[in-house]
Amino acid sequence: MLDFLARLFRSQPRLAPEAVQSAFRDHYRSFRALITANNNALELMSATEDMLRSGRPFGMAFVRGEMTALTVNVYKMVRSLIALSDGRYQELDERFKKITDQIEAILSRQPEAAGSAQILDLTVIDRRVVDQVGAKMANLGEIRNHVGLLVPDGFAITAAAARHFMESTRIQDEINRRLKTLDVADLESLYLVSTAIQELIAAAPLPADLDTLLHEHYGHLAERCGGAPAVSLRSSALGEDSQHGSFAGQYRTRLNVAAEAIVEAYKEIVASKYQSQAIVYRQQRGYRHQDVFMGVGCLVMVDAVCSGVAYSHAPEDERSPWLVIHAAHGLGNQVVDGSSAYDLLHILRESPHTVAVAHLADPAAPCLSEDQARELARQALLIEAHFGTPQDIEWALDRQGRLVILQARPIGAPSKEASPPRLQAARSLVEGQTPLLAGGVTASRGVGAGAVHKVTCALDVLNFPRDAVLAVETPYPEWAVLLDRAAAVVSESGQAATHLATVAREFGVPALFDLPGALKQLENGQTVTVDATARRIYDGRVEPLLEAARHRPNLMEGSPIHNLLQEALTLITPLHLTEPDSPFFKPVSCRTLHDITRFCHEKALTEMFNFGHRYGAKDKSAKQLYVVGMPAQWWVINLEDGFRPDTDLTTPFIRIEDIVSEPMLAIWRGMTAVPWQGPPPVSMKGLGSIIAQSAMNPQLDPAVRSRMAGRNYFLLSRHYCNLSVRLGYHFALAEASFSELLTESYVNFQFQGGAADERRRRRRVQILGDLLREIDFRVEIKGDALSARIEKRPVPYLKERLVVLGYLLIHTRQVDMVMDEEGYIGRYLDRIHADIARIRQEMNEGDQT
Amino acid sequence: MKRPRNILLVDDEEDFLATMARRLGRREFEVRTATRCTDAVPIVASGWPQVVVLDVMLPDTDGIACLGRIKQAAPRLPVIMLTGHASMQASLQGMEQGASDYCLKPIEIDELVEKLIIAFNEAGASA
Repeated sequence: MLDFLARLFRSQPRLAPEAVQSAFRDHYRSFRALITANNNALELMSATEDMLRSGRPFGMAFVRGEMTALTVNVYKMVRSLIALSDGRYQELDERFKKITDQIEAILSRQPEAAGSAQILDLTVIDRRVVDQVGAKMANLGEIRNHVGLLVPDGFAITAAAARHFMESTRIQDEINRRLKTLDVADLESLYLVSTAIQELIAAAPLPADLDTLLHEHYGHLAERCGGAPAVSLRSSALGEDSQHGSFAGQYRTRLNVAAEAIVEAYKEIVASKYQSQAIVYRQQRGYRHQDVFMGVGCLVMVDAVCSGVAYSHAPEDERSPWLVIHAAHGLGNQVVDGSSAYDLLHILRESPHTVAVAHLADPAAPCLSEDQARELARQALLIEAHFGTPQDIEWALDRQGRLVILQARPIGAPSKEASPPRLQAARSLVEGQTPLLAGGVTASRGVGAGAVHKVTCALDVLNFPRDAVLAVETPYPEWAVLLDRAAAVVSESGQAATHLATVAREFGVPALFDLPGALKQLENGQTVTVDATARRIYDGRVEPLLEAARHRPNLMEGSPIHNLLQEALTLITPLHLTEPDSPFFKPVSCRTLHDITRFCHEKALTEMFNFGHRYGAKDKSAKQLYVVGMPAQWWVINLEDGFRPDTDLTTPFIRIEDIVSEPMLAIWRGMTAVPWQGPPPVSMKGLGSIIAQSAMNPQLDPAVRSRMAGRNYFLLSRHYCNLSVRLGYHFALAEASFSELLTESYVNFQFQGGAADERRRRRRVQILGDLLREIDFRVEIKGDALSARIEKRPVPYLKERLVVLGYLLIHTRQVDMVMDEEGYIGRYLDRIHADIARIRQEMNEGDQT
Repeated sequence: MKRPRNILLVDDEEDFLATMARRLGRREFEVRTATRCTDAVPIVASGWPQVVVLDVMLPDTDGIACLGRIKQAAPRLPVIMLTGHASMQASLQGMEQGASDYCLKPIEIDELVEKLIIAFNEAGASA
């Protein structure tokens, strides 16, 4: 329909006013759909980036959900723009498809296919086959074949076998279906789904070839042992015990399995991949379920007199000279479970490995002799030396008095909250050093160092060097402009709830407040380290503290899902299309979804504002508002009944008296309530930034009456108004609908400032957001974009807010220009507050009379 | 002048249909339901619904095919697709076939209502 109309209009630019109006409404609908989709898309991008940075757990369901929502919104933008432009920009379709295909390829990447052998004998296993047998069995093979220590005889059933099993049963789709809708926070459903999946797997038949192979290998094992040995079946999942995560203890191990029960035990262990805690664990660490394959070790049971765990280093302390051994009689999981009384030995790592007994379960019967303990220590150190990191080793002592190594893995994977202990350790190093200052309130956590720069007036601000420590008496909001270049903030007064503290947290700048006397104690230019978390300030740079603080823990980082999302985001968030006037601002230059949204948004505005021009120069639907004393030009388009019926429509102008649209009159009242005084005196820095931006894009120069400056449109009906404003380099959309029905009454406001650098743009929307909250708007800020809304309120209530909004539209850009001038900003804010109070009072008085 | 707000919900899970019908009913929507595409198409053809909410998993046909049949019966009727599987390709395919929006299960009722209202406005504006 739209296409038809469009073609009709193109060939017949002069149309009857009603047809133009109808075409306009169609275009306008596309325009609104595009703006909504744009907001959604930007919001989704920023939420996804936040998630990636936050370290919070997320799974493939999140990634797929976000990507789907994002691509659907960008698709809508592309379609809306093509409709809006009467079929231009078709090339966008192709760019969009190319980018989404690439994203889809990343999301659906299959885990790398491992080798095809279904069973490998322990004699041929080492690290090189880790992607077939899993880390646990690979390590055991290393210990047997390369360290030369005794391990149980046995073999590994590989990931390929597990995959073969799962594929032959054809239950994977069903499992995925159940997992996709699972909310892991709902424990009951988690448990039910987990149990159901494990039952599905246990009930499925093992493929015949795997069954045969399994029995063949067991047969060889029996020959070597001279009998039918009981075996243990141990999970050795791929991805388990890796550098980035330890699934230790997550999966099942079956001990003393007789020959006839091997198949059932094998299936049980494969199924334990879907134990509820494993599902949650994977989700928290960002492992995709389909990335985890279950290798299973099948090992002859050791007839043990005692067994236990050896740590080649004391687990909590890397600098400890001790090696720690836990030992218990018999064999089993007692020590790992912590379920049985055990002997605890500390052994010096240095030869001759002096044994210090810490605790014996039964002093009359220690599990290990001193020689055995020393031998175990020697073996543990050999294993540590081989793997290069401290090891957590399961061992057993058999009836012949031989030590058998059952398993080894690195102690405490770094994912176990590496940072806080590091930071604490670093703090213990500086313990001897007396801080210059201690106490106060942590306004923003972290550690930062730099030269002290005291700021007491605007002049100090101008001279503030990059990476200095900002020292102030009071945390005025004005100082926030310095936060992107400050290494830390120290204030004599103030609390964590102040505005400056909020901004400091947002920028990740450490801030320590409420330290009386700080300005006296600290010298300008003196280098200090501010540990805002521990509330201490040290002289000079304390490197260990700074180094330790740099390691922010992000449990997800390095995990497959994190990597996958990060890779997908390279096709989504980077923005290459920044300058609309650049010759490269065209569809073929779009390399990311963000580029596409930027392109669509910009072109949608242009298309919308060019509508009148395109549909005939004598367009009667757009009238210029006849006003004096207002910046820029204002155009009015009557959608329905927004003009007085007897209005003279033969002139290109319309007088405000001829307009009967209530929402527009309210906005206009606010816009004109305080005379526009022209651009305010621009601060040096503000001016510098504006000149720099304007040099790149002349349309943005507020001092130049540009093409853009004329593109301010009101779309009207009696009870509806939609205003698009481009004032200087700001873009704003205000929409209001008045109705007797509360559900259809609202004011909607969107603002995005261009030009200026990121920090100024964010600051700008924060100030505007604060002002809007004061008049009861629900404000949401994402990056440098603001959206605000009031709904379901009576008309007089909305009208009052709309008037204030109109005032802010015109006057907040003054704040923008002086944003870098601390003294000014407060003064302008004061004036704005006074103006708003007066406007509201006048309105209320007006209503009473 | 309040327009009726008629929704046709098409989904194979009857429990889900019953719950959604109740919840949407409380928000002043008129709701009819269908568990199969073959039941849905005659209702669409009757002109009753102003918006269709369509699950992509149906017992008698796949959602995209059903979307095609609905669009054939009522080309301008907004259809919101519903799915438990977040899939970019499937969603985009749905959009290309004329779906007006997409909603993921589990459903946030507010999100669905918002999308419904947008769809009603579209339907009303082009009526």
